[in-house]
Parts: sequence; C-alpha cells; structure tokens
Amino acid sequence: MRIAWRGAELRLLLPILLLVPLGFVVTNIAVTGTFEPGPMQLAAVYVGMFVVAHLVLVLSGHRGDQLLLPAVGAMGSLGIVMLNRLPQGLAGTSALGFELGMAATQVLWFGVGLVAMLAVAIGLRDDGILRHYKYSWAAIGILLLAATMLVGYEVNGARLWIDLGPVSVQPGELIKITLVVFLAGYLAETRTLLTSARLRIGFISIPPLPYFLPMLALFGVVMLIAVRLNDLGTALLFFGTFLVMLFVATGRRSYVLIGLVLFVAGSFVAYELFGHVQARVNIWLDPFADPLGAGFQPVRALYALGRGGIFGEGLGQGLVTLGGNLTIPFVHTDFIFTAIAEELGLLGGLALLAFAAVLVFRGLRIAALARDDFSALLAVGLTASLGLQTLIIIAGNTKLVPLTGITLPFVSYGGSSVLASFLMIGLLLSISHRTQIGTDAERGE
Amino acid sequence: MIATNVRRLGFYLILAFALVSGSMVWWQVIEAPALAARSDNPEVIAARRSLLRGTIFDASGQVLASSSLVGDLSVRSYTDPAFTHVIGYSSLRFGSTGLERAYEDLLVGRADPNPLRDLLNDVLARTPQPRDLTLTIDRRLQDFAAAELGSDAGAVVAIDPTTGAILALVSIPTFDATPISGDPNAAQEPMDALRADPAQPLLPRARQGTYVPGSIMKVFTGAAALDAGVITPETTFPDQPRQETDGFTVDGFTVREHDLGGIQPALWPLSEALQVSSNIFFAHVGLELGADRFLSYARRFGFCDPMSIGPDGRALSVAASYVTNPVDGDCSPFDDAVELASASFGQGEVVATPVQMALVAAAIAGDGVMPDPYVVRDVRAHSDTGTPSDTVLDRFASGGGTRVVSQAAATAMRAAMVDAVNGELGRLYAGQGDITLYGISGSVSAGKTGTAELGGQQAPHSWFIGFAPAQEGAAPSIAVAVLVESGGSGSGRAAPIAGRVMAEYLRMSGGN
Repeated sequence: MRIAWRGAELRLLLPILLLVPLGFVVTNIAVTGTFEPGPMQLAAVYVGMFVVAHLVLVLSGHRGDQLLLPAVGAMGSLGIVMLNRLPQGLAGTSALGFELGMAATQVLWFGVGLVAMLAVAIGLRDDGILRHYKYSWAAIGILLLAATMLVGYEVNGARLWIDLGPVSVQPGELIKITLVVFLAGYLAETRTLLTSARLRIGFISIPPLPYFLPMLALFGVVMLIAVRLNDLGTALLFFGTFLVMLFVATGRRSYVLIGLVLFVAGSFVAYELFGHVQARVNIWLDPFADPLGAGFQPVRALYALGRGGIFGEGLGQGLVTLGGNLTIPFVHTDFIFTAIAEELGLLGGLALLAFAAVLVFRGLRIAALARDDFSALLAVGLTASLGLQTLIIIAGNTKLVPLTGITLPFVSYGGSSVLASFLMIGLLLSISHRTQIGTDAERGE
Repeated sequence: MIATNVRRLGFYLILAFALVSGSMVWWQVIEAPALAARSDNPEVIAARRSLLRGTIFDASGQVLASSSLVGDLSVRSYTDPAFTHVIGYSSLRFGSTGLERAYEDLLVGRADPNPLRDLLNDVLARTPQPRDLTLTIDRRLQDFAAAELGSDAGAVVAIDPTTGAILALVSIPTFDATPISGDPNAAQEPMDALRADPAQPLLPRARQGTYVPGSIMKVFTGAAALDAGVITPETTFPDQPRQETDGFTVDGFTVREHDLGGIQPALWPLSEALQVSSNIFFAHVGLELGADRFLSYARRFGFCDPMSIGPDGRALSVAASYVTNPVDGDCSPFDDAVELASASFGQGEVVATPVQMALVAAAIAGDGVMPDPYVVRDVRAHSDTGTPSDTVLDRFASGGGTRVVSQAAATAMRAAMVDAVNGELGRLYAGQGDITLYGISGSVSAGKTGTAELGGQQAPHSWFIGFAPAQEGAAPSIAVAVLVESGGSGSGRAAPIAGRVMAEYLRMSGGN
C-alpha cells in the first residue's frame, strides 16, 4: 500500500477546523463577558479526529475525493459550535459513569462516524457485496422497517425509534442506505429495459409492467412509512431519492413526472383522510393564524430567522428565552438551522448551505466520473439522499415546504443520523477511490 | 449517458439550492422588520415580561390591581374577584382582557394621555412610565352587590343616570385572575380549569350575557309609545279586561296573560297595567306603535348594535341586544304581528344584556336622556405607595348622553314605575324593590320586575330594573339592572337585590 498525499484535503481541513475553537471562544466571551477559552479539550478532540482521519486516508493510499471530508468537517463545525452554545441540558449522554453534554456527545458520535467512514472507504475494496446482494439489502431494509413498526416507540408523534438498551437508534437512517444500495443494483440491471421498451398511453410513456411493478411496490412502502410511522419527512426523502435515481438511470422526465403526480395524488388522499396531515398542511399554509397555538413552532422559528437578519445576532447573543426556555422548539434537532441562522445570520445560513452544496456537487462529480452504472447510480443515490435531506429540512425551517422531523446531516444532534451520514460519505469515498484507481490503471497500460 | 443525466440533475439541484437561499433571504431580510413588530414575537413578549403595569384603584382609592417584580418577571395581583369582569386580567400567556386590555398602553406607559408629551417621549426614547387608573366604582357597592347575588349566576349593573358613571358592574360567577396573571408556566392549569367549568366563570355576564328580558321590556315599550304619542297615561284598550281571561288573538295566535293571582281584570291605564304587568295591555301598545316605530325606538335606546362602556378606543365592549332575530349583526324586520306583540312585553325574539337594560332604566331616570356609560374616572401618575397619586393626568367624564324620549314621556313612565313598586297593586309584584324596606326613609324607588319565560322546563330568569330616589322633585342618583339566571320570578329574587343595592348606595353617598 503506497502513501498517497492528499494536499488539498489538508489545506482545506485546517482553516475549516479552526471554526470550532474559534466558535467556542466567541461564545464564551459573549456568555461570560470574559476571555475564557471554553471547552478547548473538546475542540482539540474534534480537530484531532479529522486530522487523524486524514492521515489514515493518506497512509492507506486512498485516492478518493479530497473535498468531501473538508465539507463534512465544516458542516460539523457549525453544528458543534451551536450545540456547545445551546443549554447542554437539552440532550446528552450519561453512561458508564460519564456525564457528557450535548456537544461532547455529538463529538463522540463524530468519532464513531469517522471510524465507520474510514472502515467503508478503505475496507470496501470491492463493491460486489453491495452489487450482488441487492435483494438481501432490500430485505434488511424491510426488516428494519418492520422492526420499527412493531417495536418502535414514538417521539413527538412519529414512530422512529428502537430502544436497544444503552442507546436508542433510528433505523430509518440506515434504511436510507439499504434503499439506495438496492435501487442502484436494481436500476443498473434494468435501466436499458426501462429506457428502451415502453408502453404508450397517449403522450405519456410508462415502462413495461414487470419493471414498473417493483417501483410501485416501493411507492407503497413509502406511503406506508408516511401513514403508519407518521414520518412524512422520511417518506418524502425516500421518494425523492428514488425519483432522482430513476431519472438519472433512464433520463426520462416523464417518469419523474408520473412519480410526482403519484406523490401529489397520495398527499391529497392523505390530506383528505388523516386529520394530522391536514393540521400540518394548514399550519404550514398560515402559521400566523394561531401563533400561540397550532402555529407555535413554525412561527417561533420564523421570528428567530427575522431576528438574525443578514449578519446575525452573534454567537451566544441571540436565542431569546422566555421564562428560561428557548423560544425555538426542537432547537438542537429539527430547528438547528434556524438557531444558526439567527446567531450567524443569513450569511452563516448561506455558508452552511454552500458547504452542503460542495458536498452535493462533489458527489455528483463522483457519479459522473464513475466507471460503471452501478457505481454511478450508487453515488447519485447517496448524494441525492444527503442533498435532499439538507434541502427538505432547511426549506421546512423557512416555511418553503411543510416542516418535517428529519435531521440536518452532520449538523443536527443525534447519533443515528451522524453515523448514517458518515457511512454514506465512506461509500462515496470508496466509489471515488475505485474510479481513480481504474483510471490510473488504464493510463498505466 | 448516465453522466449526461447527472449533469442535468445538477442543474435542477442548483435551482433547488437557489430556491432555498431565496426563502432564507425572504425571512431574514425582506420580512424581518414586519416580524419584529408583531406582538406575539417572543422578543416583544420577553420585554413585556418585566414591564410593570400601573395600579388600578377603586373610586375610594383602594388598590384593586397592582404589579410587582418577582425575579425579572412582572406579576399582577388582583385584590377583589368581584372586579375581575371589569378589570379583566393581564396574562403573559393568554394576553389581556377588560380594562387591562382597553388601557394597556397607558398602564404600561407606552402612551401618555397628553399627545404632545407622547410624541416627546417617543422622540427622546424615554423609558415608559406606568400610569394608574381610578375607577368610578366604589368597592363597597361592588362587593355588596356581589354578596347579594351570592353564588347565583347573574349580574348587577348600577349606573349614575346623570353622569353615566358606572357604580357597580358585577358578573357572577367570577374568578380570581391572579393565578393566570403571574408566571406564564403556572397559568395554564388554572385557565384550563376555568375553561372547563360548566358554570362559565369566564363569561362577563353583565356585558356579554344576552338574556330574554321579559316584563322589564314594558318600560321601553311604554316610554316609546308615550313619546310617539300613541298612548297617554290615561289610554285604555276596551277589549283588554275581557282578553285578560279569554286571551288576545293576534293573527290567529292567542296571546295569554300570565297568572294574575287573585287580581280582578279591569280597564287598566298605563300605571295599573305596569303594576300588574299586563301582557295584554302592552301587546296592544306595541301593535299601536307598529313594527317600524318599535324598531326605530329600539335602535335609539341602543338595541341592534354592540355597545361600549367608555370612550372609543378605550371601551369595555358590550354585546349587542336585539328585539328581533339578528341578521348580520342587525335587527331583522319583525316577521309578523305576533312577534311584535310578544316583543312588546319582552318575549318573542328579544334578548338583552344587563348593561342595556340598566341604560333603559337610566334613560327614564334621566328625564329621557340615556347617558354614555364610563367606568374609568381618571388617569394618574404612578404611585407605588398603595394610595393614588395627586397628579391627575387625564379625567374622563360622560359624553353627555343621547335623548331617547321626551321629558314628558320619561316623567309619565317614571310615575308608572314608582307605582309599580309602591302602588296598591304593584306592591304585590315589585314591592321588594322598595328601598324603604331596607332602612331608607324619605325617598322612594321606582322599578319594574321581569320574569323571563324560557320555554320548556327551564326556570325563568329573574329581572329587575329601577332607580332611586324617584319621588317627585328628586334627581335619581342610581339606576340598576339586576339579573339572576333561572332565578324564578322577578319579584322573588331580583327585586330585593335591586332594592338593597339602591338603598346601600343612597346610604353610602350620604343621601340618607
């Protein structure tokens, strides 16, 4: 194994990782009024972990994309700084005699995530295990889904969690990956058929039924998630990811159009049938109709955005409290973007969005360069999943779409989300690495 | 080919990122100023949390509502639940009601009674100074009236017929507003209990409760007919004595008299008809007056429209009273003669607030001029000593009132109302409203009972309206309306309460 220097990654990582110690210092000055450094060990651990991850990639001779890790580090930095600034009592870990605050717990999960990412990025030399066992992956996904439905418990009305003793996990985060792996395998195999053969009904062409039916089944599963688990965000994310992969596999806008029509029709039926869906849509359309009641959450979030303005109120200086309680609900998970946009302003919010955009467009680049259909579709699926999740939750914060309870990747507090997101980065790195090796080999011959 | 599709996907994603950025710009730049100005904005609420409000005093200078800081939280305490439906509450959780709402800006000092100083304060960005309010109500009379109602749901409204100053404004059941005006986190539970209470303690019955008035409405019908010249105090209806027993058939529907007890029907003029509370007589009067004039007099007296206590912009709201079915918030035309005949003695579709009926009494007491009611006497500089400051910043007084009937019509109706309480026949009905029964001598009271039939098995509402002193030559100083929900006959429940409240006021004001 030859060492492969990753100069671009290192040069980008260093200034980006300075965000965390800098953010801690600024927060502490604002909160205590004195120049105290804040939890510098925590900042050091965070920075150290990324540097070590970088070195491991270097030493293992990894040739994968060099912009992914800095982008992840940047999004994570904003998240950690904000989680450190929030009251630590909102969440946290106490296990094995340790009491970890929210920021420390998140850093711990970043450590776990980075290890998982490296394991996949370096360990997955061959993608056969993904490519050839696609139905097994689908089965695992369905098993996880069934488990959630049977033994899952509800938080805030959505049944997302499974209790595993010391930790609770959100299987939905892992199902996301198995779904993408399955779809990549399935679409890579059938895309020529899906593209060439067709049934024409008027102006609309639909794929031949044997290939179309699994797609319909998937749509059914998605609707099941929305209705049975009351998890509209995940349903939307799964379906969006599926449509994106279908579009890239076939190049047909009409399939996407059919999918959107199905989705709109499904949503309309859900709106008519289920009170909670109706309530949510109505709150979305006019949260100010009942600003202290039903519209409480979105309204409070919008006020926070307004307070932030262009430049923000400054770390540690925003986030109005009423009676000791923060006015932004679910501030460390669903609404963490709002908290960042309040204290760091429109500029901070746009920076976060830009980091996500770097991640997305590097992911697409990996897909475009990939040397086979499966790798390309896998990269597209992973990228779409991360990108759509980011867009859906931010758009939910700004009332562009109805708010759903999904996390902001690498920013929201939560182990399952961090771990799953790092696994996806690991897969992207591994695809990118193989592409690079293959290209080198061709050149060498 | 996949690479091409990826590039196309990239283009769509750029659009999506742009759209999301646009939504951020919308809220953080374009909409930000509008958001900052909204009253439910947590920043505005947070500022209000520690803002001290002025004190509210009764007419004798006793503290009714005051604010203090507990930690950094401004907490409001109320000393007398009898005033809750006047003062309202000021809650960080549920907003404010009553006078707390109507005078919000003055109480917290956001406005100055003097517009010039108001502007100056604004320009100089001076810290708001809370202002104190003094009410026209003396706590002694308010508490007395509340005690008279006891635990019975109902209302007592007392008003000075000359000035329009409210002397008592009691709604029962009431509640202690202090628990919902303190720590907002502790306010939900008491509020939930109040909302769930089937007795509806949150309803300010005197202002917002509308009730079938029954026979007290005859005061209005009579006064209107006298003013229109349709009747004189001597007018009689030849068929009336027979109809007292046989019934009076209007458009095929028979209007029947209530149980006259042992009283023998006779050819009664106004005074006797009012004393025995003859439905037949007033049905005739109403039909003679006619539907159009009945409606137009009703409007003059304030029916068919929401009313208010206090000047525009700082008013306590009073629900509209109606003489016919309301349509779009206005009285609709009478459907037929039967409805008009029934309305003439306070049944049919008539509903009225206790405040409205107190104003009807005040109009007769005031020689035909219905006063504009008000309940805040003055605004003063803030005092935290527990006694009002001497610095009066603004004084409120009556807006003058509206003439609703001629002095002659009012005088004739007043004489009939004096008879209704003191006359040979009237004593049997409204005699309990006589103030001389309650330790007053040298003065008499006037009034009319109402026993509002609700149909079905429901006990009727017990009503009384009246005023005192009412003897010839005296200027009445108090007009009242008393309502006891499902309290039975007007003579049994409402009349003695009204008599005692009027007597108590005359004693307090030193008339006797």
